Amino acid sequence: MRTYIARRLLQGGLVLWLVSLLIFSLVRILPGDAVIMQLDQAAGPSPEVLARARHELGLDRAFLDQYRTWISAAVQGDLGRSLITRRPVTQELGKRINLTAHLAVLSTIVALLIALPVGVLAAVRQDTTSDYLGRLLAVLGLSLPDFWVATVVVTFLAIWLQWIPPIGFAPLWVDPARCLSQLTIPALIIGARLAAVSMRMTRSSLLEVLRQDYIRTARAKGARERAVIVRHALKNAFIPVATVIGQQFSVLLGGTVIVEFIFLQPGVGSLMLEAVVLRDYTLIQGAVLFFAAVIVAANLLIDLSYAWLDPRIRYR
Amino acid sequence: MKTILPSLALVVVLSVAAALAQEKSPDLPFAFAAPAFIKELDTKYPAQPPVPPSPPRYGGVLHFPAVIRTFDPTTAGYRPEFALVWDTLTEWEATWYFPEVQRTPVIRKTLATSWEMVNPSTWVFKLRQGVKFHNRPPVNGREMTAEDVKYSYELLKDKASYATRAALVKTITVVDRYTVKFELSMADPKFYLNVVDSLSPVIVPREAVEAPGGLAENPIGTGAFMVKDFSSGDGALLVRNPDYYLKDKDGRQLPYVDAVRLYFTKDGATESALFRTRQLDVMRVSTLDQLYALMKTSPDLQLYRVPSFGWGDYGLTMTVDKPPFNDVRVRRALSMAINREIVSEVINKGDAALYGPFPWALAGYTRRADYSYANLGPNYQYNPAEAKKLLAAAGYANGFDVELEWAEFQGWNFSDFAQLVARFYKDVGVRVKLKQLETSTWIAKAGGVQPFTQMLAAFSPIGAGPGFMDWVYIRYHGALPRTTNREGINDPKLDDLLTSWRTDPGDKRPALQRAIWDHLIKNVYRITTIVPPHYRVTQSYVHAGGNPYCWFPGYCSYEAKTAWMTDKAPARKFDKFAQ
Repeated sequence: MRTYIARRLLQGGLVLWLVSLLIFSLVRILPGDAVIMQLDQAAGPSPEVLARARHELGLDRAFLDQYRTWISAAVQGDLGRSLITRRPVTQELGKRINLTAHLAVLSTIVALLIALPVGVLAAVRQDTTSDYLGRLLAVLGLSLPDFWVATVVVTFLAIWLQWIPPIGFAPLWVDPARCLSQLTIPALIIGARLAAVSMRMTRSSLLEVLRQDYIRTARAKGARERAVIVRHALKNAFIPVATVIGQQFSVLLGGTVIVEFIFLQPGVGSLMLEAVVLRDYTLIQGAVLFFAAVIVAANLLIDLSYAWLDPRIRYR
Repeated sequence: MKTILPSLALVVVLSVAAALAQEKSPDLPFAFAAPAFIKELDTKYPAQPPVPPSPPRYGGVLHFPAVIRTFDPTTAGYRPEFALVWDTLTEWEATWYFPEVQRTPVIRKTLATSWEMVNPSTWVFKLRQGVKFHNRPPVNGREMTAEDVKYSYELLKDKASYATRAALVKTITVVDRYTVKFELSMADPKFYLNVVDSLSPVIVPREAVEAPGGLAENPIGTGAFMVKDFSSGDGALLVRNPDYYLKDKDGRQLPYVDAVRLYFTKDGATESALFRTRQLDVMRVSTLDQLYALMKTSPDLQLYRVPSFGWGDYGLTMTVDKPPFNDVRVRRALSMAINREIVSEVINKGDAALYGPFPWALAGYTRRADYSYANLGPNYQYNPAEAKKLLAAAGYANGFDVELEWAEFQGWNFSDFAQLVARFYKDVGVRVKLKQLETSTWIAKAGGVQPFTQMLAAFSPIGAGPGFMDWVYIRYHGALPRTTNREGINDPKLDDLLTSWRTDPGDKRPALQRAIWDHLIKNVYRITTIVPPHYRVTQSYVHAGGNPYCWFPGYCSYEAKTAWMTDKAPARKFDKFAQ
């Protein structure tokens, strides 16, 4: 087990190094740079002034020189300063990660609360009205784009209830009421979509498990149907569901941009989008590297969770 | 099969219900209702809105949208909202639509109280005495002096956002505690017009710049508001500066409101929702249909519908130094091929004004009725037959292929505009290949920093105030770089006219501006079409300053300084941004 973890960590390090190189190169291929992108439309500086501004930001240094400086600081936890705000990237990311993590966790909880009961119900009552309704809901959840649902919800809340979620993030441990009133509706919208995917996976996986011999044996031994489902089937069926949820959670951390924009909840997604638009290289690099690390770690945790879910799985 | 039936029935019931709900609606599609709506706006909301009642009520927290990534003028691009915190030597009064502006520009004396031209290259400015920086460490409310002006100009004049104007300043000397002398690199008999707000350096204290975190962490100025809480990506809370030096015309201390809360919104639907729920008090609306939807649900809103001075027009930039656009007949033909009435209908349901080579007011056309085809001449009138003849005469009887670059830009509709242009040009034999750019690339091309291929759908280059220098001189003079003269216009006759304008001390300037207009509408260096008006909506409980022409709160900081809220306004706290 320890060898396996060590090997995975080494692989993760290699992945992160490749990601750093890739993102560092790619952002510099994009046309334009931070100096141009923050100019007011009315400004028309001369090429000399622009060159001076680029020099101040170090954008005129050789590629490898820039990379060496950045990566050597990054391995020590210093992701540099934003080219636009000049604040440390870790500080810029910190607050946004907090909001995004809140949103991702709440959305995942919503998704699980919907997906597990509906998926299980659809599987154990296959080809009944419950199953068809569950599948219909899943298709609806997959078909309706987040941005459309969010726009409709925010508009109708404003018109009918004269209310929309408050703006200005407060962490759950600081102001729980404000945090929940702020994030519940975005979490419901994101969670509903995530639930659709997870629900379909739960249903199909459970259907497969329910046809296994050991389930038949359990039933033959006289176990109650609820015990068969909960104790024997669900845990095994949950392995692919855990994979899907783990992947989706990583994606959620990476960004729920549109919903963030519409509900004015600035998380990491909108930060990264703005950084790309403004060509804020250090912020893009720092954010991408951070999320690569999160995804590597999340995948490792998911893989390790398989052993808990299914004791037959062994790591070498 | 039986189990499917309930699901199908549910879908059918929902569909029928939706269809019935739609049938019940008596509303016409907005495109058909628009002319009546525009007429209603013309009568219900005249261009000159009513004067706010007096005396104003003190207190309240004003909410409006903004886009700021950092409060630091040394690093960030210029943002008009900076004017809430920092002052420039002078500000424009927002009387930009009146002809008098061109002869006697109305300037509000903020940090400078008077100026004198020693010679066209040497100017002396007297500063207001007793102006204090915000009372916060490390500056602690000390007095602003001539040393601060010198320091700020030297700090900011070469920054990309301020360089267009401030680069004219060669040296700045402190004459005494309240007097500074500017030596210019180029004679300018109207230099005092080039230190007015927006693109001119703001005055910052050295201690705040040099403190840890610089101005981003210590945003200290002399402005009417002090930054209390900056929440990156969310918004900011600015509270009233109790020591602010400006007073209103009746001698009352400004500003009237206790605080302003800025929301960094990024989506029109969100802004509308915030306005409907009274979380925004004043905002700009991009399009007529958005305004219509908002007025249906917030019927008591106040509207300022102001003809645009020139910001946000729909036009085409060409590489006029290369074939086929170096032939004036081609440029005229391409301008004549566009039906501007249809452009107006498609872009903003008909609520837009014609637009020429630069703002109408700068050519002396100051009434709405002046914004006409007659004053633009034949090159701006839809005439495809004449366009074909001109193309044939220029050697393009069979037309030519051209690439038109465009991009999405929030609040504007370049997608429809580019497609319309392609359709009009097809009628005269010009085959357009549309190329959509990523927005940042488009901004770089529109800013003249990156070359465009042949044609670019973009705004005309703009000025920060009503100054002819910003809007025309630096945009058309052949001696200036592509970052200002993005088309690469090189017309000796035009340069002579512009130089005459620049060196004229004053009286001949209006006539020269009209002559430059006439020259430009004949030569069509840029194809301009229409410019939609600005829609600014306010809640019924807000008197948003005595200034009707500020369509965007940040551009006219005076508006936030003079805005006041009635006792019907929602009670709001202002201890921190998220409250």
